[in-house]
Amino acid sequence: MKKFEKFIYSILDSRPKKALVITLILATLAASVILIPTKVVLVKMLPGKSANTFSVYIDLPTGSSIEETKKVNECVLDILKKEKEVTDIESFLGMGAPLDYAGLVKGSVYKNSENVAEMVVNLTDKHERQERSYNMVHRLRPVIQSKCEPLKKGTTIKLIEQPAGPPTLAAVVAEIYGENNKERRKLAQKVADIFRHTDGLVDVDIMEDDIFRKYHLKPNIDKIQKSGLAVEQVQKILYLAFEGMDAGVKNSEEYPAQIPLFLRLSDETRRVEDKSLQAIKAKLQSFELMNQKGMMVPLLEVVDIVPVTNEPTIMHKNLRRYTNVIAETDLVSQVYPLLDARAKIIENLGKEYKIETTDYLFNLRLTDKKTGEVFDLKWGGEMKVTLDTFRDLGLAFIAALILIYLLIVVYYKSYTLSNIVMAGSFLSIIGVIFGHWVADLVTADTFFLTATSLIGFIALMGISSRNSILLIDFAKALMIEKHIPKRRSIAIATATRARPIMLTAIAIILGSALLASDPIFGGLGVALIGGTVAAVVVSLLFIPVLMDNAKAMDFTDEQTRSEEEFK
Amino acid sequence: MSEIKCNYKPKDIAGKLALIFLHNPLTPLLAVFLLAIGYLSLEIMPREEDPQIAISGGAVIVPMPGATPKEIENVIVKPLEEKIREIKGVEYIYGIAKHNVGIVNVQYYIGQNREISNLKLYDKVMQNMDMLPKNAMQPLVKPFDIDIDIPILTFAFYKKDPKLSDGEFYKLIRQIKYKINGVKNVSKTALKGAHKRQFNILVDLGKLTGYHLSMGQIMQAVGSVAKEVPEVKDRTKDKKIVIFGVPNAIESIDDVKNIMVANYMGSPIYIKDIATVEDGIDIQNFKEALIWTKELHTKPQYTLEVSKLKGTNAVFVANDVLALMEELKPKLQKEGIGYVLTRNYGKRANDAVNELVDHLLITIAIIAVMLVFFLGFKEALIVTFTVPAILALTLFVAYITGQSINRITLFAFLLSLGLLVDAAIIVIENIHRHLHEHDAVYKDMDTILVEATDEIGAPTNVATVAIILTMVPMAFVGGMMGEFMKPIPYNVPVALLASLLVAYIFTPYLSKKLLKKPHMHHHHHHFQKEEKLPPECDIDGGKQ
Repeated sequence: MKKFEKFIYSILDSRPKKALVITLILATLAASVILIPTKVVLVKMLPGKSANTFSVYIDLPTGSSIEETKKVNECVLDILKKEKEVTDIESFLGMGAPLDYAGLVKGSVYKNSENVAEMVVNLTDKHERQERSYNMVHRLRPVIQSKCEPLKKGTTIKLIEQPAGPPTLAAVVAEIYGENNKERRKLAQKVADIFRHTDGLVDVDIMEDDIFRKYHLKPNIDKIQKSGLAVEQVQKILYLAFEGMDAGVKNSEEYPAQIPLFLRLSDETRRVEDKSLQAIKAKLQSFELMNQKGMMVPLLEVVDIVPVTNEPTIMHKNLRRYTNVIAETDLVSQVYPLLDARAKIIENLGKEYKIETTDYLFNLRLTDKKTGEVFDLKWGGEMKVTLDTFRDLGLAFIAALILIYLLIVVYYKSYTLSNIVMAGSFLSIIGVIFGHWVADLVTADTFFLTATSLIGFIALMGISSRNSILLIDFAKALMIEKHIPKRRSIAIATATRARPIMLTAIAIILGSALLASDPIFGGLGVALIGGTVAAVVVSLLFIPVLMDNAKAMDFTDEQTRSEEEFK
Repeated sequence: MSEIKCNYKPKDIAGKLALIFLHNPLTPLLAVFLLAIGYLSLEIMPREEDPQIAISGGAVIVPMPGATPKEIENVIVKPLEEKIREIKGVEYIYGIAKHNVGIVNVQYYIGQNREISNLKLYDKVMQNMDMLPKNAMQPLVKPFDIDIDIPILTFAFYKKDPKLSDGEFYKLIRQIKYKINGVKNVSKTALKGAHKRQFNILVDLGKLTGYHLSMGQIMQAVGSVAKEVPEVKDRTKDKKIVIFGVPNAIESIDDVKNIMVANYMGSPIYIKDIATVEDGIDIQNFKEALIWTKELHTKPQYTLEVSKLKGTNAVFVANDVLALMEELKPKLQKEGIGYVLTRNYGKRANDAVNELVDHLLITIAIIAVMLVFFLGFKEALIVTFTVPAILALTLFVAYITGQSINRITLFAFLLSLGLLVDAAIIVIENIHRHLHEHDAVYKDMDTILVEATDEIGAPTNVATVAIILTMVPMAFVGGMMGEFMKPIPYNVPVALLASLLVAYIFTPYLSKKLLKKPHMHHHHHHFQKEEKLPPECDIDGGKQ
């Protein structure tokens, strides 16, 4: 104790030593902050979470049949079956799986067509399993995609992990706004291509209907009327024959629901050979309708078959037409691949479009150089949530700073002392960033600086200001009550307070140790541990120096004893 | 060496609290009470894995058969979007124009009141019904509700006995569904991949053409037989009721087969002549659910989803349903039905909560061991006691304010754990220091305790308020993430305030019971110029 007091005093007593402490602290601050732009410490909203389940979303091109979907499903199933850790797999063909957090925003509920399927893969308990679920997904994804996607051209298979925090549509979402459907589609294609060639992005998909061929049976109104038929009748009978309808019900008292009598052509007779016009014609050749007089009229007599393309679904967001291009990230933060992709968009599409940056951070506006049509590219999904969260937490941080500052001004009635406390608090950022760097070095997976790290940092502000306040208060009391000279008071205060400061710091470090091992709140734990270490160093070395330099810290009066008594 | 009883007048709330509770016989009782309500709160509070995020919104679905996407966009989606734009609090509007149907999804800002938001949406759609085109059907307004929509349990039922018919299988599953719906706090049950029983009449196109028949005729023929009409309620002359009626003529599959469709060249044509009729499942429903496990291989299955009511404990609901399923097991076995539990959020929530509670306990133990080394056994014991007391108080406040125990709440506790022993450590450390100071010999225990507590009161208060202030702005972080993290700004400040109270009330009290003044000869401290009594210790007044 006495030694430490002497040590502090020796620093305070020498100008060059004080300057050295200040330079050292500022240098480490600069060194730590530089780790962020140099990507030594990576930023992500929330890291992955090891779970006991993951999902597989299978999307065949629009217009594919349930049988084709089933084939792809079987292919995926065959791969997953071989996994030792898989306990059971449920496939939901033509619909979404039972809703979960991920499915909630990924549109699981609205899935209702033959070309989609969802699978739920349950794994053994995470505590008894070696491999974390996100590593497993990372390993299986290329295997599944390379083997099963080629079964039908245009198929995308996504492996969906349970989100660690709030669910988002996808890690990276490019919302492309533009009125012209065709041109917007083209642009979406180009953006999707860039995504596919960006490292770290997987499961790229354009959220729109594919264009496929279909046939219109154009009613020849003149002929229909002459043959005593009605257009409505043609429509209805055609639907009845090939899709089927309920013709009546059989009510049953022993059965929980009504039993419908379903009428349709038999499967053997309603199937068409292939997708060609000839095959459709051949099938409808023998199809006849009965007119009002009870005479049979062949269907082909009254309609013309014309091949057309389907009209894809039109999507709006906030009253503007748009198309989503989505991608997931594979074990990496979405921030960096997104920035890469954005750079590539500016570079590759610069020939065709005039590209400007717009309103919010990374958003782009593309103007077609030929037609002058304007498209907006806005980033959504996890990126937007990340930016919004970091922005909001940043604001919360500033608000916290101001509040603490005002509180201390009110308490000490001095701006200088407030400044000292604030400086000390802010410097804990050194420990936060270095802590993440060290954590990243010692762990196998990438250790990200996350939103929870920021929360930890905000909490640290309070903790380190507590250290400073206790120091200032004690030194002040020594000067006023015991009439000890300023420099000596500061040294004694620092030495006496070192014990509780260390104790509380150790309590925080030990308290956060288990937190640091958690996948989600690891950032918070590491921030607290690293930040507390930094805060201890700062409050025991840097704060005394600042206190010594501050005039406002001078509470000595004529009663103060001379420095000589303490030597 | 004589002790002097001093009338130390505490200046700070810290000293005042210490003084009040130091001699109060109710203090130990208060401690027991605190621990009890904390434990009760931990047991009763609803447990869930993730905190509730109040997402309000819904979908407006307007079917318009036969319309193309462009048509739907112009006559349904655009006018609807315009109208919904008028509602306050809407963040995103997603319009989807498909073949035959227009859908407008509405998402409110996070944190908007769900009931009011749903009403506003419903109101807006109903007010503007007249704007919808003629051939559009009645719009459907479907608000989404995470609580009810996300099932906590899913079961996959499969047929063990291949002879069990689809119809019978469906019937049995429906019965189970009905029973589960009766369990306390179960809100919604639904079946996925289920196929209903249906009589299928599959017409051969060749025979149809051969007999010169139209599909319309068959439809008519079947429809005219398979009809349900209410019975006639007639009266006798003396006003008694007589009931008679024509029942649905279709009793069995054979009745369907024998429906006469037409006459062809003088002989009747029955359904069985031109079609195959089967007692099967709804073949037009392309949806299908499968299950694979190592033992079963791939099998068709029906998934039964079970949701819970909002604000109820997922763990309890899940356990109740599982108990019921256990009860039904022998019956299912007999009928030839097997099932696999494919989701259990109740267990997941419980595991997550228990794991964190374990972490909390371990952390408390580690801190306690650390304190033994630095402060001594008795001091460590005192600080360690304050932790459960603080957590208990915080849990109770969380329970009163209607929060649930989830991962984030517990993280808030873990986060505050390092902070909340601080107050107690600072108090005990100061007591320790005062007890070992040379002027301790003059003062009695009580005075030292109150004085030591009072001395660090003001800076500790300010510092704790500073930490609380850092947490407050976090409550205003918007969006999903803000909502997700809400338990932290809600609970950490409470825990910190509780830590102050507990530190000021119980630390001096327990110190009095456990600690003793060290026997030591007073000596000159280097900055103590002359022996003098502390100014606040008035000897004459103090001798009572």
